[in-house]
Amino acid sequence: MSLTQALVSAISGLKVNQSALALVSANVANASTPGYVRKTATEVAIAGNGTGIGVRISSIQRQFDSYVQSQLWTENAGASYATTRANSLNQLQTVYGDPGSDASLETVYNNFTSALQALSSSPDDPAARNQALDAGQLLTQQLNSMSNGIQSLRGDAELGLSDAVSQANEAMSQIAKLNQQLAGSTLNDSATATMEDQRDNYIGQLSQLMDVKVIAGDHNQVSVYTNSGIQLVGNQAAHLDFNPQGTMAANALWTPDPTTRGVGTIVLSSPNGGSVDLIQSKSIRSGTIAADLQLRDSDLVQAQNQLDAVASALAGALSDKTTQGVAVSPGLQQGFDIDISGLSTGNKITINYTDQLTNTSHTISLVRVDDPSALPLPDTATASPNDKVYGIDFSAGMTTVYGQIANAIGSTGMVASNTGGTTLRVLNDGPGNIVAVTGVSTTQTATTLQGGSSELPFFTDGSANYTGAIGPAGSQGVGFSSRITVNGSLTADPSLLVKMTSTTAAADSTRPDFLYQQLTGSSLQFAPTSGLGTAAAPFTGTITTFVRQMISVQGQAADTASSLKQGQDVVLNSLQQRYDDSANVNVDQEMANLIQLQNAYAANARVLSAVRDMINTLMQM
Amino acid sequence: MTTSTIGGTTAANIQSLINLRSQLDDLQRQLSTGKKSTTYAGLGLGRGVTVSLNSQLSAINSFDQTISNVSTKISVAQLSLGNMFDIGNSLKTAMAQGNSGGGTLGATAVQQNANISLDEMIGDLNTQAGAGYLFSGRDTDKAPVKTYDHILNGNGSQAGLKQIISERNQADLGANGLGRLTLSSPSAGTATLTEDATTFGMKIASVTSTLSNATVSGPTGSPATMSVDFTGGNPSPGDAITMRFTMPDGSTENMTMTATTANPPGANSFTIGANASDTAANFQSGMTSALGTLAATSLTAASAVQASNEFFNADANNPPLRVDGPPFDSASGLVAGTSANSVIWYQGETGSDPARSSATARIDPSLTVNYGVRANEQGIRSLLQGVATMAAVTVPNDANTSALSSAFNQRVAPSLNGTAGGQTVSNIQTDLANAQVALNSATQRHAQQSSTLSTYLDQIQGVSNEQVGAEILTLQTRLQASMQVTAMLYQTSLVNYMPPGG
Repeated sequence: MSLTQALVSAISGLKVNQSALALVSANVANASTPGYVRKTATEVAIAGNGTGIGVRISSIQRQFDSYVQSQLWTENAGASYATTRANSLNQLQTVYGDPGSDASLETVYNNFTSALQALSSSPDDPAARNQALDAGQLLTQQLNSMSNGIQSLRGDAELGLSDAVSQANEAMSQIAKLNQQLAGSTLNDSATATMEDQRDNYIGQLSQLMDVKVIAGDHNQVSVYTNSGIQLVGNQAAHLDFNPQGTMAANALWTPDPTTRGVGTIVLSSPNGGSVDLIQSKSIRSGTIAADLQLRDSDLVQAQNQLDAVASALAGALSDKTTQGVAVSPGLQQGFDIDISGLSTGNKITINYTDQLTNTSHTISLVRVDDPSALPLPDTATASPNDKVYGIDFSAGMTTVYGQIANAIGSTGMVASNTGGTTLRVLNDGPGNIVAVTGVSTTQTATTLQGGSSELPFFTDGSANYTGAIGPAGSQGVGFSSRITVNGSLTADPSLLVKMTSTTAAADSTRPDFLYQQLTGSSLQFAPTSGLGTAAAPFTGTITTFVRQMISVQGQAADTASSLKQGQDVVLNSLQQRYDDSANVNVDQEMANLIQLQNAYAANARVLSAVRDMINTLMQM
Repeated sequence: MTTSTIGGTTAANIQSLINLRSQLDDLQRQLSTGKKSTTYAGLGLGRGVTVSLNSQLSAINSFDQTISNVSTKISVAQLSLGNMFDIGNSLKTAMAQGNSGGGTLGATAVQQNANISLDEMIGDLNTQAGAGYLFSGRDTDKAPVKTYDHILNGNGSQAGLKQIISERNQADLGANGLGRLTLSSPSAGTATLTEDATTFGMKIASVTSTLSNATVSGPTGSPATMSVDFTGGNPSPGDAITMRFTMPDGSTENMTMTATTANPPGANSFTIGANASDTAANFQSGMTSALGTLAATSLTAASAVQASNEFFNADANNPPLRVDGPPFDSASGLVAGTSANSVIWYQGETGSDPARSSATARIDPSLTVNYGVRANEQGIRSLLQGVATMAAVTVPNDANTSALSSAFNQRVAPSLNGTAGGQTVSNIQTDLANAQVALNSATQRHAQQSSTLSTYLDQIQGVSNEQVGAEILTLQTRLQASMQVTAMLYQTSLVNYMPPGG
């Protein structure tokens, strides 16, 4: 122990104090820097010859609760999933309009039925006729704009995915870069701590985009995986590719097959080769990306399907005419004759029969198809849950049609034939008595405005008739709500709302009565693709009840998403609070440290001064 | 719950301030709009019900509009019908007065009255309400009745009522003016009366006789013939023979010939001659005179009424029956006219269903009222026909003026109140009044329903001003308190208490 020794100790103390002061200064300066974690210096005594000879800073420590941090990353994904979805569904609510306002679907629809009601009491009034058409046009415009609104939200989701993927790529590459830099650094100095801060910040960003699992390794390394186990970052970062589609339409859907896919998909390319479609493998389960996928491929698609169901029901209710077959009993067989010449593509022949062995009733629907590549049709091609659906190819002319029908129903024991002209005859098996034909009918779309019956093509698909045609790309109903319009010939001559034939009297209310009755009184079946009802029990009711159900379900979904978001926000906020409490800079504490350091510095300086005095004393001897 | 340390960044604190603020904004919006939410999501579980309620309210509203629309139409129709009823009564009175006043002046006054009435009535029938004519059935875009001038005087090549009456008059009276009857004497002492084989003129229905010594036979055969054989001896003075004739319109007229010794015999009498041949000759000449008078009075009136019948019992699908001529006075029968040569007075719709159902309004989901009227309904037609007949005929100023007026009065006056047992204008008025009653009770029902539904809707969609006001107050207090505390927290930092310069 010597004076020189004391001098060295005091100087080391001054140095450590200066460093600690610099740390306090850095902490205070970064008090509001996002992602900055409070740093503290770890001081160790330097000992020599069995006695302390000084002090030094061994490392710079980041002060945070790592358990809370990993929880925070998990909840980040959940919260941003809930937020993205709630925001989008809330925007979807604006598509449905203010409840009861003039811009809401229900009001526009009610106005249309009111106008038809007025028309049926004053069929001769030109004003009433125009009003009915105007209200119809407003209704179609409302459906068009709602459909556009939904597709634009899907477009937003697509863009959101595109942004999220590029953010994720940036975050992943930064994490990998920092990993590499940290691997080269052996000291736990302030540069290392700052890099770790940055890396945590990028992981935090990534965790908002998707659900990730972070595993810490040796030498300050971390690996990032998706919760489903796909590695995103190790030494090197994987790369995500997304091919956004510029415009969004109702029939642009995600499919596993790239040739039929109408929207973008996310492909992960590993640094070591190999790629995987993250949507197909359902690898992303939370975060902004999962929310956007859920919106683009499910929530909004369903909302569109519901609107399409409304549009199809509207058009079909006013234009579809069901004709019953005529009972015949040639020889020992019984059955029905029916004319099938008027079928448009998508129209159907319905055969009801009873299996006499089990005494059960069955229904067969024969749907006219003009594009054979759409065959065979699934049973879900019609809204009816209990029917067996066969597509009948009409493209090769009527001659082959009867044979196809005979083949389709042959397994039941029923016999189909052509009795001349375009008459289809369906008979039972006669003496065999294993099957009884209980009814044959056709459902045809009225394609002319003066066909002599009340049915008319009030609404059209652009300029084409809406017949529910089924092509290889799907049903005509997909996206119909964006194309539905009031028949142009009708707007050109509103008197056709009344005149079923050229001689119908001006005040004949038969057709207006029919229109009003169809929309308010008749019960329709809605396809289960709308998400209302199930495949076994599709939604059945009037258009009003369907609209009611649709608004109910969508409102409930938005409400639930909003509650979920609020819940997630509370969880996230409290976690964030806890994390911030441990990791954020507390200025008070830093100030207290400052005072302490000032005192320590003064003390060390005092030691220096005392040593100088003592050496002076020694020198003056 | 974590407690934030003093001086730490209180993100949660700020977040809760923002939340309070947005709650306050939402409450303010609720207060100013009176609506609980701007989206269906915010309405809670009642959101589906609001759609149904709105749809029901909208339906009630449109039914009410229909009711008010239909009420107007029915009221206008009732006015017209009431007016027609008055026209019928007033013409009837005028005819009774004219008849009792007698003479040409009375007849002219009646005709003038009828002309004005016809014009007015056609105006009533061609009433429009809103977009359409009320008395056209379903063809509300066509005026139901042709104009006054066309109906009476025709339109170019289309014959009007006057021409049709005139043609029929010629056909019924015949060239000799005896109502197509032929008097002859096949042998001395015998007089024979033979009717025409055509549908025109008077037909002999029956004969009753108190002529002593004379043999009266017939009417027999077709065309019917009757004869009086005086060869058995002359009748005594005061003996009479009464012949009953059927007129073209189906009415019957009696004509009595009385034997007298006076010479000249006077009307409806014949002088008993020296022998059978003389008496028969006298009888014949007496008959000629009496038949001529009958033809000029009752037959003329009956002929005009029948022509009018044919004219008005027609529509676009069934043009009126016309006399097959010229020449008309020897015409052999009736022939269907065409719309090219005859005015079709009724232009509206002619359905086989009841006229009322030609206009139907749904005033309730399950209730409809029928309020259609066709101008060719029996009640209106018979009134119009009577008025038009009186307007079309001119009673000449001669010895028969009074009798002819009386003959018209007798035939036309009853039809002005509707035919016996048939429909009258009053019946139509009653039908429409019943519809009005249904409309009124539906309106009252709707008012009640509407009020109930609106209240329910308001409970779901609306907000109570008092409640929102109270919530705003509470929230305001909380927000102010939170802000104050947050501001205080930010001030309590050690930095503020360190002396400057260390």
